[in-house]
Amino acid sequence: MHFVTGGAFNGKTAWVKTYYDLSEQNCRLISGYREDPFPRPLPGDKPFLVLNGIEQYVYRWLHDTDEKSVRKKWQNILEECSELEKKQQLKVIIIGTDITKGIVPTDKKEREWRDAAGRVFQDTATVCRRVDIVWYGQNKTLKNEPEESF
Amino acid sequence: MAETQPVIFITGGVRSGKSSIAEQTAARIWRKKQTGKLHYIATMQVSDGELKERVAIHKRDRLLSKLPWQTWEQPVSLGRMACRFHPDDTVLLDCLTTWVNNELFYNGNRVDEEILLKQIWEDFSAIANRVHKFVVVSNEVFYEPLGDRELVIRYCRLLGKLHQKIVAHAEQAVLVEAGVPVFMKGGKGL
Repeated sequence: MHFVTGGAFNGKTAWVKTYYDLSEQNCRLISGYREDPFPRPLPGDKPFLVLNGIEQYVYRWLHDTDEKSVRKKWQNILEECSELEKKQQLKVIIIGTDITKGIVPTDKKEREWRDAAGRVFQDTATVCRRVDIVWYGQNKTLKNEPEESF
Repeated sequence: MAETQPVIFITGGVRSGKSSIAEQTAARIWRKKQTGKLHYIATMQVSDGELKERVAIHKRDRLLSKLPWQTWEQPVSLGRMACRFHPDDTVLLDCLTTWVNNELFYNGNRVDEEILLKQIWEDFSAIANRVHKFVVVSNEVFYEPLGDRELVIRYCRLLGKLHQKIVAHAEQAVLVEAGVPVFMKGGKGL
């Protein structure tokens, strides 16, 4: 799994598309920015699965439940991604916009969103072998562990 | 690959030290070049007392630096200034965010975002392609929820696209964190 993060409008999605040479044929894209529903189970029918704008899903899920449950739900999804990668030989790429560096929002809901997004990003970076930050189209690799050999 | 412009792009958060790093960088380049002039483009439009004071401090600092800064105050349409510069000159722009802000404010909702982006990029390139070195300061404004205010989203999208374009063409791009330059593109030194 590969986690790509960075600020808004920094070219994260474009970087991922170029880096992996993604197309409609080889990639299943689920985007929180397009307000796509989040499918469960996740589709494993194409070589690449991209979960884009995960902070948007976090925001949506916080409508129905608390932060703790959202984090649990996300951990389950990460497990499912990991299983998919192993069983179906596909690559999962997770993209999220970093919304955690501004001043503390006065609105309680915004605060919760920021907190939950920050924790979800930490969990994601922990399980992903590779983590990149994209800054105006330039990537900085924060973590890159070799693939497991069997 | 995008065609390289003689641009050094420097961003950072507020009070990260990006402006002084940019000033030192421009001065060093100018000294090394030995010919040409040292220009400063200020984009800030002074609207209240606090801003007036900040601008005054910047002006005083440049005066104290004993460097022959030639200051231009130009809030919009920076391309018009290109003819004032020579191929040996070093030009510092502080800062891009204020310029984009002014353009958006002047043109309001009348102008299509893509057209405005194209126009700003042309203005930017007119200077970049004419001078010895163009040092450009901008801000990091992309790390918090943008909310649902259309103007804020428009502004950030426009600035983000512009930053991406500038970095793609720049010979060097630097992110300043707490006064420490992090080299994101190009050489590892200023």
